[in-house]
Amino acid sequence: MRIEKCYFCSGPVYPGHGNMFVRNDCKVFRFCKSKCHKNFKKKRNPRKTRWTKAFRKAAGKELTVDNALEFEKRRNIPLKYQRELWNKTVEAMKKVEVIKQKRQARFIINRLKKGKQLDKEEAIISVKKNIHLIKAPHAGKAKQMEEKMVQKLQEDVDMVEEDI
Amino acid sequence: MGKSKQIGNHNSDKHKNIARKWKTKRRTKDLDQIHSDMKPETATKLLHQEVDYDVTGCAQHYCLHCARYFVDMRSLKEHFKTKIHKKQLRLLREEPYTQAEAERAAGMGSYVAPKKIDVKTQPTEEEMD
Repeated sequence: MRIEKCYFCSGPVYPGHGNMFVRNDCKVFRFCKSKCHKNFKKKRNPRKTRWTKAFRKAAGKELTVDNALEFEKRRNIPLKYQRELWNKTVEAMKKVEVIKQKRQARFIINRLKKGKQLDKEEAIISVKKNIHLIKAPHAGKAKQMEEKMVQKLQEDVDMVEEDI
Repeated sequence: MGKSKQIGNHNSDKHKNIARKWKTKRRTKDLDQIHSDMKPETATKLLHQEVDYDVTGCAQHYCLHCARYFVDMRSLKEHFKTKIHKKQLRLLREEPYTQAEAERAAGMGSYVAPKKIDVKTQPTEEEMD
């Protein structure tokens, strides 16, 4: 028995679950739930439907190209049971799963870093643009003028003293 | 990808009963079926069909990309100018979605970007002569 993948959302279809549509040219479509089946009937494109795995991969939301993704495959050649091989495979599957999870998580974190950087840049730009809300454009101008006047007067006084 | 509330521009009830429209017995051809129709051998077969009195226009005027029969040459040519036809051509320019792609997306293999295919409206000059 095999756990098939849903045609629309790529979720697992366990035996006895979901439903199957056979088109009149014998092509088989499996669906994990009625939601997927209905969307298929509406002729929606899984690549354009945002909640499907196909969309997430096509839009670069998830890890797409990696060696950890190459282990799980549809293998159509039956193998004779060997206890040693079986045990080794199960061990390897656990290891691969751990590595895969780590890599996927790292990919998403790296993808989100870009947004944080853009947020920061935008914040700086908005502060520069709206600086007048923090500090009034003529704030402290009067004081400055007064200081200048005082300086000039002082200079004039000095000049007069020198002349004498 | 929100669903638009407008269903067609005309006041006919034909398109309003959604449940009836989506029945499998009324199912129209899928994009991957049309893609296999577009192969030269099948395309010539579909464009030069024998006279069949049960089909619209005796099956003489067929739009390959929309999988539709038309009454005469004039209406077929009018159809080529419509939005529906142009949209269909645009959708056909991308490689069709397959079960293999669904499995790759589920983590069985790496992602392969869909190819772009050049699709143009079928030529009508031969039939004009």
